[in-house]
Amino acid sequence: MVFSDLFFLFCFIPSFILLYLAAALADRHFNGEPNRIKNLVIVFFSLIFYAWGEPTYVFLMIAAVLMNYVIGLWLSKSEGNARKAALGIGVALNIAIIGVFKYASFIAGSFSAIGIPMPDPKLALPIGISFYIFQSISYLVDVYRKESPAQRRFSDLLLYISMFPQLIAGPIVRYDTVAHSIKERTVTADDLSEGIFRFMIGLGKKVLLANQFSEIADQFLKTGADTLTTTGSWVGILAFALQIYYDFSGYSDMAIGIGRCLGFKFNENFNHPYCCDSITDFWRRWHMSLGSFFRDYVYIPMGGNRKHQPLNIMTVWFLTGLWHGASWNFVIWGLYFGIIVMLEKFTILKLKRKPAVLLHIYSLFLVLIGWGIFYFDDFSQMTSFFRTFFGGAELFSSFETGAALTGKFWLWIVAVLFCLPIRKWFESLTEKFKGGDALNTAVRIAASVAICILSIAMLVGATNNAFIYTRF
Amino acid sequence: MKKSSYIYTAVIATVFIECAIALTALPRSTESELEKRSLAKFPTLTADSLFNGSYTAAVSSWFSDTVPFRDEIMEQSMTLKNAMGIKSSLGKKSSGEGDQDIEYVEEDNVSFVATDNTIKMVDDDPDKILTPEEMMQDTTAHEDEVDAKVRFATSGIIITGQDSTTRAMSTFHGSAGSGATYVGVVNKYKEMLGSKVNVWCMPIPTAIEYYCPSSVASRNKSQRAMIETMMTTLSGAKGVNICDVMAAHKREDIYLRTDHHWAPLGGFYAAQAFAKAAGVPFRGLDAYEKKVVPGYVGSMFGYSKDINVKKNPETFVYYVPTGVSYTTTFVTYFIDEEMHVTGESKPFQGSFFKNYKGNNAYLNFMGTDCTLVKVQTSTHNGRRLLILKDSFGNTLPGYMFYSFEEVHVVDYRYFTKNILKYIDENGITDVLFANNTFAVCTSYTSRSYSRFLTKAGGYTPKPEEDKKENADSVDKAKAVADTSKVKAQEPAAPKEEKVPEPVKEEPAQPIEKPDTLA
Repeated sequence: MVFSDLFFLFCFIPSFILLYLAAALADRHFNGEPNRIKNLVIVFFSLIFYAWGEPTYVFLMIAAVLMNYVIGLWLSKSEGNARKAALGIGVALNIAIIGVFKYASFIAGSFSAIGIPMPDPKLALPIGISFYIFQSISYLVDVYRKESPAQRRFSDLLLYISMFPQLIAGPIVRYDTVAHSIKERTVTADDLSEGIFRFMIGLGKKVLLANQFSEIADQFLKTGADTLTTTGSWVGILAFALQIYYDFSGYSDMAIGIGRCLGFKFNENFNHPYCCDSITDFWRRWHMSLGSFFRDYVYIPMGGNRKHQPLNIMTVWFLTGLWHGASWNFVIWGLYFGIIVMLEKFTILKLKRKPAVLLHIYSLFLVLIGWGIFYFDDFSQMTSFFRTFFGGAELFSSFETGAALTGKFWLWIVAVLFCLPIRKWFESLTEKFKGGDALNTAVRIAASVAICILSIAMLVGATNNAFIYTRF
Repeated sequence: MKKSSYIYTAVIATVFIECAIALTALPRSTESELEKRSLAKFPTLTADSLFNGSYTAAVSSWFSDTVPFRDEIMEQSMTLKNAMGIKSSLGKKSSGEGDQDIEYVEEDNVSFVATDNTIKMVDDDPDKILTPEEMMQDTTAHEDEVDAKVRFATSGIIITGQDSTTRAMSTFHGSAGSGATYVGVVNKYKEMLGSKVNVWCMPIPTAIEYYCPSSVASRNKSQRAMIETMMTTLSGAKGVNICDVMAAHKREDIYLRTDHHWAPLGGFYAAQAFAKAAGVPFRGLDAYEKKVVPGYVGSMFGYSKDINVKKNPETFVYYVPTGVSYTTTFVTYFIDEEMHVTGESKPFQGSFFKNYKGNNAYLNFMGTDCTLVKVQTSTHNGRRLLILKDSFGNTLPGYMFYSFEEVHVVDYRYFTKNILKYIDENGITDVLFANNTFAVCTSYTSRSYSRFLTKAGGYTPKPEEDKKENADSVDKAKAVADTSKVKAQEPAAPKEEKVPEPVKEEPAQPIEKPDTLA
């Protein structure tokens, strides 16, 4: 199931709310642990949510959680080398699961390509496996580092891993950030109002922006690839850049919003990435939960900037690329950014006076090239795209490019504007004068109602609505 | 804690609850007038469908497909998409607005290209060189629309003009050689029928051939090139090339602006050309009563999802012969949801022309495609005509009552008998193949016609036959595309043409239970 689906919005969510409220009453009435029944309701709905899209792989997920539960208990009971061994085995098993279900075909295909025949198991990719396996690893490492105690209750660990807001497309929630909230959490009206608004923003980003840009991007990059002109390739990749940002950050917003309503505070995943002034900066703003995962669990353990830093950096970026998909273009994409980040350490990050405008243009240009690598998993298509992109084709087609820009003129304007931290600006503005809070609330209400109604209109009879990042 | 948080939460919760109640508790839509199709049905649960995920996927799409007031909401959504653009003055050719979902390869063509493994379809024929005459034809075809606003809608549909000149058309992707298989079948008919029966081949060009603006000419292929190649490769069978006839009348309303069909007037000129070629009598429009249906919006609205099409309805004009008496006998086919014939009615008499109003006006000829029609006229000249057609051909028989003793009409999708036997038993003297160019290019059309030659009667389920024929080319994509063949046969033809009740009640038709079932 995806968030931007009428069935999710108006069948799943209402049933969930009703049962969750009933559970809250029951929790209070039976006077036991404050969240016992509520947590069970979340688990129950999360399993339905996952099984809706993966009716068989849901058992794989449960099995993976069970495995991590057992290893977590083992970790908590052992010390010294045994503890290290437990962690090693646990991490290895998790990597084995993702290796088999996500990368087996890729590995087999790569070996076959260089002349070593290997059978392709042809396993379908389980939705969201990259996210829940990473969360499992996060759990084991956090328990190993004694940042959190091992979870004694299986259903609570299942809750952490399978919680439907972040299950299939992140953000990657670290165990220590929610471990406490599983047991004890409170929800205030502020939380509710902020959570609902975040969800609405995310819904709007996905349905009103990302879905529209996906049509434009596919129009140029997929169906129109044969007749692509240089300007067309620019319009297409710009549309894809906006699509993937609004798609993924919209999903994160919705996840964070639902989590907030339930009393969980997930870390932010995006911070206006297209406002970056370097590629290093871009990656501090884009998919932050993945970046910090690799930083804390790979880069720093490998030695960080203390020893063989270049190797550490390239390893992280190789993994970042590979995490996005079992295909060489993602690996190249990761290494591409790794090299740039490394070069930046010796160049623009050392600049004392920074030419801001130039740096923004430089960063966005490199990010766009990155999306070109990201979009095409077929190398001949990718090279032909870049040839066109850099002028190796007819420069301009009067009709399509003009039509794509003028035909959705307001969409482009709105999309580019909302790449800027408009909400922050507006809220700091309204804090300054009396009645600002009322204005802010009125705007929030108007925006939310508009998004709700427009999204319904756009989603009726809609097809092709899946989130890009559920594939990873 | 801020008071405003309570207010915000309360307001949004109220709106959300109202939406949720509206979308779940109100009666669900079952049919779309807009797209002229039945909406998704609630899936039936099987162990298989549950575990491969298709059941839950179908529940989700059922829910979003059948929301209450679906068509009204869809219309709002289209208006909204239309409003995202700006009125552009980027220049005459490049101005575009509205829904910009450009797909260069039309969905329908993708499927018919994919189903066909015998002839080249996708590419331009590189050997083809336009003759000066053809180039002339191209320029004349475009000159009227150079200044028009042009935009792409979904499914490769082009929208031109504005207000009362708004026209939606599917682009054509066949090449000069795309009619080869079809011609092969026509020749086969001639070969098997021998010299006693005339076999005629009259491919019907679609609107895009005449109204394609030059700015998008590269997205559209010449139908004339294909038709001319077909004419030269007919052997024994005779060709009727109506390209020039239609071009001569292109300033008249010979094509519907809002529908994928031609207008009945276009059918008239084609019928005239055929009658001349066949050497049969033919009467001018003064021998017909002109019937006018105002406010017609055809199938292209649902297909293009462009609100401008809906906002600019046209007048549907058709002609009923008055100087000839005739009786019409129908055999109606019963079809299942996949459009396979499952049975047929006993012959019954009814009126050839129906009385549909509004958007269903094109159904006024015989009412439906899935019927076998026999018209006995008061003309006596020893000539009996069988028309093999798609829905474009529906306009033709009505002009033939002055010309033939009997006119039989067979749709290429629905016929259960052996065609040779049928021609023999009914003393048919002339067989006319009248399909639009999109159907000509579709391999399913040719396969279906060749099946007619060997059919023994009864209702062999189609999918099995198709599977056998496709067994050689085990290409999954092709097999999948094959399931969309029904959609592929006509430019943006509705998946399932709904047959609503006529506005004015026909004399009760004794539709009986099927008496023969395989």
